[in-house]
Order: sequence, then C-alpha cells, then structure tokens
Amino acid sequence: MKTFTYAAATAAMGLWGTGAMAADDVTLQLKWVTQAQFAGYYVALDKGFYEEEDLNVTIKPGGPDIAPTQVLAGGGADVTVDWMPAALAAREKGLPMVNIAQPFKSSGMMLTCRKDAGVTSVEDFPGKTLGVWFFGNEFPFLSWMSQLGLSTDGGEGGVTVLKQGFNVDPLLQNQAACVSTMTYNEYWQVIDAGLTPEDLQVFKYEDQGVATLEDGLYVLEENLNDPTFEDKMVRFVRASMKGWKYAEENPDEAADIVLENDASGAQTEKHQQRMMREVAKLTAGSNGALDEADYDRTVKSLLSGGSDPVISKEPEGAWTHVITDKALN
Amino acid sequence: MAAAVDLRLVLVLAIWVGGWIVNGLIAQRSAWNWGGYVIPLIFGITLLAMWEVGERMFEISDVLLPAPSEIAARFWLSRDILWVDFVQTVLKGALSGFVLGCGSAFVLAVVIDRFPFLQLGLLPVGNFVAALPIVGMAPILVMWFGFDWQSKAAVVVVMVFFPMLVNTVQGLQSTDAMQRDLMRTYASSYWQTLLKLRLPAAMPFIFNGLKIASTLALIGAIVAEFFGSPIRGMGFRISTSVGQLALDLVWAEIVVAAIAGSAFYGGIALLERVVTFWHPSQRGRT
Repeated sequence: MKTFTYAAATAAMGLWGTGAMAADDVTLQLKWVTQAQFAGYYVALDKGFYEEEDLNVTIKPGGPDIAPTQVLAGGGADVTVDWMPAALAAREKGLPMVNIAQPFKSSGMMLTCRKDAGVTSVEDFPGKTLGVWFFGNEFPFLSWMSQLGLSTDGGEGGVTVLKQGFNVDPLLQNQAACVSTMTYNEYWQVIDAGLTPEDLQVFKYEDQGVATLEDGLYVLEENLNDPTFEDKMVRFVRASMKGWKYAEENPDEAADIVLENDASGAQTEKHQQRMMREVAKLTAGSNGALDEADYDRTVKSLLSGGSDPVISKEPEGAWTHVITDKALN
Repeated sequence: MAAAVDLRLVLVLAIWVGGWIVNGLIAQRSAWNWGGYVIPLIFGITLLAMWEVGERMFEISDVLLPAPSEIAARFWLSRDILWVDFVQTVLKGALSGFVLGCGSAFVLAVVIDRFPFLQLGLLPVGNFVAALPIVGMAPILVMWFGFDWQSKAAVVVVMVFFPMLVNTVQGLQSTDAMQRDLMRTYASSYWQTLLKLRLPAAMPFIFNGLKIASTLALIGAIVAEFFGSPIRGMGFRISTSVGQLALDLVWAEIVVAAIAGSAFYGGIALLERVVTFWHPSQRGRT
C-alpha cells in the first residue's frame, strides 16, 4: 500500500509538473522507426517551428511491433501518422479515426520483382510467390489483387503470398518473385544488395491505379469536439507542414536532423539523404490539405476487395478539412 | 484518496470476494474429494466474470481488450481459420521440431555419456546454442529453410535441444557407483547396463526435459512466424490481427495456444506417470 501511495503521489506530481509549463503538450506516434520518412516532424521540432506555435511536441518512433492505431486507441498519443487503409479499417472496427491532414500527396509503395523470376507484367503474377507486409499494410495489395481477379489464398491460378519480414531477403534469395518495397527505402536495399534497376521490374501502386493514401495525420473523432484540442492540432499541422516544406528544400540538412534524432543509431547518412530526396517527391504537391479525389480513389480501391473487401461500407466523416483550413489560411 | 467510491469497481471486487468465499467454504470441507477440481474451476470462472463485467461496465474499447464472451463468439465463428493455423503451427511446426530436437538431443546425450571427451567439447557448444536469442535465430533460419513450417521446426529444434540434452546427460549419470558395480558383478555389457539400469533411472530427468521442451516448442513455433511466414499459422494470425485491430481473433488464437500447450504438457505428464510409476514422486499419488 505504501508503494502504491508513493507511486500515486509521484504520478500526481508529474502531472502537476507538466501542467505548470506554458506550452501545450502534443504526442505524435510515428508509423515506423525514426527515418527520413518522418523528416518534416523532426525538422519542425529541431528548427523550433513547434516552439513558435507554443507546442511541446514529443515524437514517439514506431517499429515492427507497434500499431499506431492501437497506440491512439490506448491514449498513448494525441495524433498518429498512419496509412489510410489501416485507419479506415480501424474506423470500421469501431475506432473512429479522422484524417486531419495529408502531408504525403503520392504513394511510395511498389511491388519490386526480379525479371529472371519471370515477371515482366501483371499477367505474369499467377503462380508466383509475392512478398507482402502485413500488420495493416496488406490492404492496398489485397485490393490490387482482387482488382486483377487473382486469389491470394494459394489456390489454382492465383498468387502465393508470403508474409515478408522487414527486409528484402526473400527477393535476394529467390524465395519470392516479388517483394513489397517503398520508393524511398527497401528499393534501395535491393539496389545496395547488388541488383541493378535493369534486373528489376517495378510496379508502382500509383501507376496501377490502386494507390492508397499514406502517411496522413490521424486523431480520434471525439477529441475534435474539444476546441482546445482542435486549436492545438491547427498549430501542430501548421508547424509540421512548415517542417515538411523546409525538409523538401534542404534534404541533406533534414537527413542530418533525422540522424541526430535516431536513438537506435541504425540509420546511415547515405541512406537517409537518399530517402529524404525520394520522400520529397511524395510530399511535393501537398500543402497538407487532403485532396478529396485522392480520398475517393483510396476508398474505392479498398471497397472493391472482391469477396473479402478491406472495408465493407463507405466511411462517413473519416476526414476533415477543419484543421487544415484554419492552419493554412 | 478522497475520490468517491466507484460502484463499478465495487461490483468487480464483489465478484472476486464472492468467488473467494465459495472456494474457502469448499476447501474447509476437505472430505469432498471433488474439491480439487471444483476450486480451480471456480477460480477461473471468477476471473472470467471479473473480466467480462469489468470490460463492459468500464466500457473498455474492444480494440484494447475484448470481453471473454466476444472472444468465445469469435472462436466459434473462426473455427476453420483457427484449425488451419493450428495444423500449420502446432502439428507441422512445433510437433515436428519437438520430435526432431528432443530425439536428436537424446541420441547425442547417450553418445556424450559413452565418450566422456565429448562432454568437454559438445556440452559447451550446446550451451552456446541455447544462449542464442530466438529473435536473432529466427530470421536466419527463415533465410536458410524458407518461409514455411520447416524453418519454424528448425527454430523449435534449436530451442528444445539444449534443455533436453542437459537433462538426459544428467539423468544418465544419476545411477550411483554401487548400482553400476552390481551390474558389473552380473557381467552385464554396456548396452545391458544402459537399457536395464541407467535409462530407467534417467526417465524422471528425461521427462523433465520433455516437459520443458513441450512449452518451449509452442512458443518457438509461434514467435518464429513473426519473422516471415506463409499467410497461415498462429504467429502469423496474431501479428497481423493486431495490425488489423482484430483483437478478438488474437485472443481466440491465444486460447488455442493455451489449450494446445496445456494438452501437450498434460499428455507428457500423464506418460511420465505411466513410465516412472516406480519413482518416489509418482508413488505418492493415488
């Protein structure tokens, strides 16, 4: 009991301590580990853009065992970076996530195949083994396959799906004909491993018309009813977008900032600078406001999942322009 | 603390106290020979009731913790998925790895016991392998043996090998000099001594190793699936369902794992009772 009282007292003092600070606290949960994919937020933090908006932002890196949706549900973060398919699927599961901003305009997701495995077009997929990320990242792939009319359960005339780990080994070892890659990350791991772009056949989800929105900012719907929270998010989005535009223009500096914030020390400068340049291509063209046409395309692609669609009905209220309208004007 | 007493908390605690009192009453009437089965049952039901009532009254989101009734419903609806996963992980991955790992460890233990110089050379190597973390081994073994159950079985082999080896070696050395001398006076050969004296004496140790290995095998097979797998298997389902926020399915898989693990362990314990009926630890049982 003594320990409990002590713990309660310390917790209370901790709360009081943060309350006494002037700036508003915001916790951001990233979708993945610290890397240039999230450069905008680290730049905004490092350059003091959040401070200018009177915000005290904590950035929590993600990882293979962290589902941003669940962190948000558990109250571990105010706002999270996630992909729209995962967010919409969570919404249908009863976790009302709302997209408040969309710093990424284009999708960086690709299926990278070896030509020597006999894949040069989508017609070559049947009978092949394809590596896919799961943990909520499988939705764009599944809707693409169902649009192609290919079964993914290993049946006749369909494709065999592998749950790919977070590396490209299955492709390098010929265990899979294709693996999932991002333009800014895994594709370069394949190249660094010794394969040349000529050896590879790349299918961009953008080009296949099945691209879904990646790396948006999501909050819980109920929090948006609170004007203080809304105001915090307006300032957060404004500062974050400033960070993103700065990162686009100064890729090498942004990569350095990311490296400084990488507590794991797992990233290299060369990889991060390259990643930042590729990410800049995806964030280019977005001022932070969600493009409704992109949203509609994402929803359409997720609804058309054949017998097993990612979402079964048109989502309502899954995005809002309220925050970006106030932040950007 | 001055906070008003939360009625919901009171109800949850009331269920707990109620279960406790019932169990206390049963325990006092020790003449009831079914008390040994009823008491743990009531304990389990109490826990489930607290969970169910607590989850509903505190309105905890299903995304964080589904209620037992929801898990049961999911279990029933997803029987075919759970069966496919069970076959993939338990029957193919864990069991084959268990048989291979324990079998080879047993054979090696006999060899080590026969040639003492191996004890000095091989046991440290076994120790080394056992100290390798599964999260380090699993991706490598997936690379070597492919994505299907073979690589999971390989992880299980690595995990169960050492406990089985050490226990068997220990067991083979458990006979004392007097017993071995007696065999010698009977002019028994090495094999006769091994089969008639030393292996039976080693059985409690061997079963100890098998029991440890049975739970390790299931853990190994499930965790190994986190590092790449075909799109079936308990580890695959658990890791992907968390990402899809299908926590009811995750819990259903956990239920399957708990049942399979307990049955596996129980089966070996039962076999142990039959084989080592002569051992003091078993003779005491009725």
